[in-house]
Amino acid sequence: MLFALDFFMRRIAQGLIIVLLVALLIFTLLRVVPGDPVRIMLGPMVSPSVAEQTAKEMGLRDPVLVQFGRYVGQIAQGDFGRSFVRSAQGASTGGTRAADTFNAANRASVIGLIATAVPYSLLLAGLAFVFALALAVPIGIYAGLRSGKWPDRFALYLSSIFVSLPNIWLALVLIFLVSAKAGWLPAIGYKGFSYAILPAIVLAVELAPVFIRSIAVSVSGNLMEAYVSVGQIRGLSRSRMIVFHVFRNSLIPLLNTLGIQAVGVLLGSLFLIEYVFNFPGVGLLMINAVFQRDFPIIQAISILACVVLVVVNILVDFAATTIDRRLQY
Amino acid sequence: MITRRELLASAGAAVAVAGLASIAGPAAAQAKKTVVLASMGPVTGNWDPTSHTTLGQSNFEKFVFSHLTRCQMEEGKVPELEPDLAVSWQLIDANTLEFKLRDGVKFHDGKDFGAEDVKATMEYASNPERPAASFYPGRVDVEVVDRLTVRLSTAKYGYPASAYWFISSFLPILSAKDVADPATLQKRPNGTNAFKYVETVGDRSMLAANDAYYGGRPKIDEIVYAYVPDANTRLLGLMNGEYQIAERLEPEQYATLAGNDAIVGHRGLSTENKYLHFRCNKAPFDDPRIRLAACHAIDREQILMLMGDAASATSCFISPMKFGFKDIETYPKYDPEECQRLLAEAGFPNGEGLPPLEYITSIGFYPKTKEYGEIITAMMAEQGFNVQLTVLEPAAWEQAIYRAADGQGQGHMCDVGWMTGSPEPDLVLRPNWHSKAALITGVNDPEIDAVLDEERGAATPEERLKILQEKVFPLMAQKSPSFSLFSAVNFHGAAKGLQGAYYFPNGPIDLSKADLV
Repeated sequence: MLFALDFFMRRIAQGLIIVLLVALLIFTLLRVVPGDPVRIMLGPMVSPSVAEQTAKEMGLRDPVLVQFGRYVGQIAQGDFGRSFVRSAQGASTGGTRAADTFNAANRASVIGLIATAVPYSLLLAGLAFVFALALAVPIGIYAGLRSGKWPDRFALYLSSIFVSLPNIWLALVLIFLVSAKAGWLPAIGYKGFSYAILPAIVLAVELAPVFIRSIAVSVSGNLMEAYVSVGQIRGLSRSRMIVFHVFRNSLIPLLNTLGIQAVGVLLGSLFLIEYVFNFPGVGLLMINAVFQRDFPIIQAISILACVVLVVVNILVDFAATTIDRRLQY
Repeated sequence: MITRRELLASAGAAVAVAGLASIAGPAAAQAKKTVVLASMGPVTGNWDPTSHTTLGQSNFEKFVFSHLTRCQMEEGKVPELEPDLAVSWQLIDANTLEFKLRDGVKFHDGKDFGAEDVKATMEYASNPERPAASFYPGRVDVEVVDRLTVRLSTAKYGYPASAYWFISSFLPILSAKDVADPATLQKRPNGTNAFKYVETVGDRSMLAANDAYYGGRPKIDEIVYAYVPDANTRLLGLMNGEYQIAERLEPEQYATLAGNDAIVGHRGLSTENKYLHFRCNKAPFDDPRIRLAACHAIDREQILMLMGDAASATSCFISPMKFGFKDIETYPKYDPEECQRLLAEAGFPNGEGLPPLEYITSIGFYPKTKEYGEIITAMMAEQGFNVQLTVLEPAAWEQAIYRAADGQGQGHMCDVGWMTGSPEPDLVLRPNWHSKAALITGVNDPEIDAVLDEERGAATPEERLKILQEKVFPLMAQKSPSFSLFSAVNFHGAAKGLQGAYYFPNGPIDLSKADLV
């Protein structure tokens, strides 16, 4: 109990620092790269003086550190602000200007937009994990058990092919063949669960090689450990050793893969795939926000993504420590 | 007691049923005639049409709001006005334009349409304080003669009323009640056209057929106006039946539709020209000879070959869809010798001594801008210009092209198009080349100002046409504050079953007479 308390307190403190640094980095980069959100908010025909005045009123001309300090203060109170560009109804907007356009009530709450989008992304990510594991676990285990033989080579070749497929290309090809030509599955937008299958397959193809190699290497590595021979000498059958000991010990690197690599890969790819499929999750929200320089949304989603990675890492490390008490994080 | 196995089996069956139900959903919805339009442009969060200059929302508004007149702007035809909310119109004198209005028209909220609505709309939209005021020629006073007659007067503002001739087909008519209540005006669009606004959910705005439409109830029951920024997604959504119309396709995408039996492609010349704008308030392009030399360095034939179907060869500062268009005989042609002569005359023989020039273009907004930007850069380099091409994604590009508060803009040349929804040429000419605006070029040339004011002040359309073609465009060709590269072509794709849709050259689509068969 004390171990868990000490572990979580230490890791949460470290995580907070990481999140703060990432937030500062994103915040600064957004304000350094070209692209003034005021132009997008006000429309192309706005006079330079009005654009400048609006930017000043919104605090966008203050030093970056001053803006960041103000932002952190808001977040500490649970306020992630309101979108620069999206209306209260959630619609993505173009240039507009009117007397009360910048009234906060006219703009969508960032948390509200994210809360609407998150369930879609969770569904897609969850389904992608299920598909990826359904494919990777049997192939990876078989490859690990037959290390150096054809199942191992098959797993390697399959992983290499999957890794080599650019996800955007695969997405376009699958939509064209499976949805537009064959009509087997719907795609583009979201009207029901079936709309998540095709994008989840694309994400699973990207995730599966990471799982397959991790499982195969871990299982074959464990098989070569002395405890397997010792167990068999003591009378345990090979199948019992594999099912009850090798698989359990192979879980630790798989957990790390799931936690660090897979979530990282997924977060990156999810954004692109949601955009291509026009899938109304956090990724589509984020990419449109980037195009429109919608700083509050970009900042909040970046922070959210960072928090997810940090939390997953903490949980994975805790789970690994629980499985094998020799590990120290 | 339910066993774990039974529970899992039940859950699996529920998921399968949910999945099948969701697959079956869209098919079941076909009983209602719904057109999902995948739009490239977003709408704004403010439904007041005078609050924005956004293409996507202007296209959306065309479904909801009617105009005094209608102008089809058909390729190869002289633009002509047809009745819409006005049944007839005439110039009473140089500063007075009279409209007789249609009787029996109702707004979507049930209010009767009448002269007071035209008065409120015109006087409100032409107020220079409104964000979209630069679309209109200037302030106008409207006299209500009777319930169904209005007179537009420009006497107090020093320009002729004929400037509102074509604008009458572009300015959305609002309810006077809404104009008096800005909060309501911004909250929802309330017009008199064939479709009425229902709601906006995320990036989808819903419209329903207007049963009381004066032109007859549309056969399409519902329009879903969906913002889909990616052109590939729009095309694939059209191919798999999610969308019935996909806007603004790339030329290659349009070509791929040729072999698809379920989809019909639509190609149409737009009201947009693509320009290479020079920063005329910054050296070296503050010298018209250098601007002209740059124009003579560019072989537009090569650009047109690259653009293929997406461009139409024109030699004028406005599109053929605009009033006054004419290919100008003196328009700068590819002529390396003339380029060198002008450079030498300006004191830069073979380009020696010219500063490095930055040429700003975009990627992902218009077709092939980066590719023909590279061609222009190479052609100018051949004549001694030291040009560096800066390619920006749309948000950064949009910031870079317009002049900042100090009057200066980034770089020396910019690639920009200008799409407006009326045959009115001043919607292009004044924002770009009159010194009072010159949003990008920063040109400040009293001679250009004078001819632009002269054409706006012409008493009749005939006189105006003559001034445009014989004075304005030849002078601009000589001064070259910008170089119009070509007129742009729009590509749309639509489900074959959608019949009777009309595609306006500035983007809107008329579905009031369309049917989904």
